[in-house]
Amino acid sequence: MYREFVTVLHREWLRWKREPIWVASAFIFPIIYLALFGQAFDLNRLFPAGPVGAYTVSRALYGAPNYFSYFAIGMVAFVTLTSALYSGTGVLFDKQLGIHPRTIASPAPRSALFAGSLVWRSFSAVWPAFLAMGVAVAFTDVPGLVGLSVRSTVTALGIAEILAAEALLAFMFTSLFLTFGYVLDSNEAYFGMTNLLNLPILFTSNAMFPQSTMPAWLQTVTAYNPASMAVNVMRENLFNTSGYPYPPEIYLLGLLGWAAALIGIALYLSARTLRVR
Amino acid sequence: MSGSEAITVESLGKTFSGGIEAVKEVNLTIHRGEIFGFLGPNGAGKTTTISILTTLLLPTTGRAEVDGIDVVRSPELVRRKIGLVFQRSTADTLLTGRENLEVAAGYHGISPRQAAPRIRQVLEHLDLSEAADRRVKTYSGGMQRRLEIAAGIVHQPEILFLDEPTLGLDPQGRSGFWDYIQDLRSTQGMTIFLTTHYLDEADQLSDRISIIDHGSILKTGSPAQLKEELAGDVIAVRPSVPHEQLREVLRAVPGILSVGEMTPKGACRVKVARAESLVPVIVRSCDAAGIELTDVSTHKPSLDEVYLSLTGREFRGDPEGIDDSGPGRGNHGPNGGR
Repeated sequence: MYREFVTVLHREWLRWKREPIWVASAFIFPIIYLALFGQAFDLNRLFPAGPVGAYTVSRALYGAPNYFSYFAIGMVAFVTLTSALYSGTGVLFDKQLGIHPRTIASPAPRSALFAGSLVWRSFSAVWPAFLAMGVAVAFTDVPGLVGLSVRSTVTALGIAEILAAEALLAFMFTSLFLTFGYVLDSNEAYFGMTNLLNLPILFTSNAMFPQSTMPAWLQTVTAYNPASMAVNVMRENLFNTSGYPYPPEIYLLGLLGWAAALIGIALYLSARTLRVR
Repeated sequence: MSGSEAITVESLGKTFSGGIEAVKEVNLTIHRGEIFGFLGPNGAGKTTTISILTTLLLPTTGRAEVDGIDVVRSPELVRRKIGLVFQRSTADTLLTGRENLEVAAGYHGISPRQAAPRIRQVLEHLDLSEAADRRVKTYSGGMQRRLEIAAGIVHQPEILFLDEPTLGLDPQGRSGFWDYIQDLRSTQGMTIFLTTHYLDEADQLSDRISIIDHGSILKTGSPAQLKEELAGDVIAVRPSVPHEQLREVLRAVPGILSVGEMTPKGACRVKVARAESLVPVIVRSCDAAGIELTDVSTHKPSLDEVYLSLTGREFRGDPEGIDDSGPGRGNHGPNGGR
């Protein structure tokens, strides 16, 4: 099983490095969002300068020192989601290009094939997300730009929690879109589904906008959105936290539940699709 | 199942949704080290049968064993024993030929280090060594077919399934492929199950052939046996222009056993007991009916005549090359008049 799993990773790696546009877009896309959307949409400007204004902003943004810092963490979730959107395309194109039959005619365990795709595609969603975070921090040193400001007392446990939250988020989104790759047969159906889910997942989370500005019904939905849970874990660890109803560990448990459910569904549906009829 | 049998199929059937019966009551026994041809036109049930034997489809009825292993109960074990060459290319065009073979070997649990000598050998045999490190998207159609074959045998299977393996290959490529298949059998003792709709391919390569049509096996035997069973001769008659009355005129000639369908260009073949005495009679009858002939040739029955006698229709539009060229070609079809 190990050899077959590694073979899937190896093939994904070879394909990835041969597609320069794919590689470049993964680097550039988060930078564009941070440089344009993040810089233009500065909520601080809506409040008066001075301690009162700063306190009001901090309260509205749950401890983040400015909107860009709040937004940059939201971008981590957003980049994870948008990178994971393409997870199922590998399986979909393999089916369409006739590569799939060779794979399923081989004795490779189906679980190894699925696990290989899940791990590679999740990794492909994680690194651009952390790249976005690094770029946001680097903006601090660029004159004229607002950067991501984090508190100086982030603990090792906090970093571990951030990594875990990001990994779980990547696994669950990747599982979701891998499932569509296995189950659906046409590009139209696949990209229709991704378009249908992409923005609703984002806009029913607190990735971009503070939960306190939302209507009550949306606040309820936002509380259960895995993207909200992941950014809550990160923001609680990175900022001088205020206003979160639960500690990071509770959100991590929620994420674990989401990940287990979505990976389980993906595993079941992929196995069903790969089964002969 | 005894140890000498590589594949056993009993009452195999497959009905697809919508009630389409692709395979009906197929029975087969294929011996170890044998090259077995599964011959039939498009849609006859060849690919469905091979898909069941290679565990890609479940049968609706009956059972099949590959190397003594039930294809439904233990598909994983069957997949370890077999190699499969698909009708269409399954190569990843972004990868090189060598990388595709490494992936194919990896799916069989073979590490790149273990696979390297075998990959080198297979690439060399299939004349792909020079192109091995080029991306497959730069390969010609023939090179992609050869790579497909390489992917089917890179893990050294005991039983190799070839589904229309020479589809799209030029005559030189087909001839080279036949040599390679025969070499595989003689050097490695591989059992080979081959589906084809090329009569000459089945004739040249196979130890035994099953002719399948509409999902049912019509006849099984060696090419020589099948042709011998069909005693007599064949006369191919080509008019200068297509003539509607030709078949009727030929039917009326005493001694003609059967009259084949007319080809698009108006040629017709008839089955007779002895050609020599009937050729002048046919020429005179056609002359009397106002049908001008450009060519009349005789030959021994080919597999196409076997097919014709079994199904009542010709295998393909131009099995003997008598319909699409000028005089002279009618004597020598792809089977060389065998």
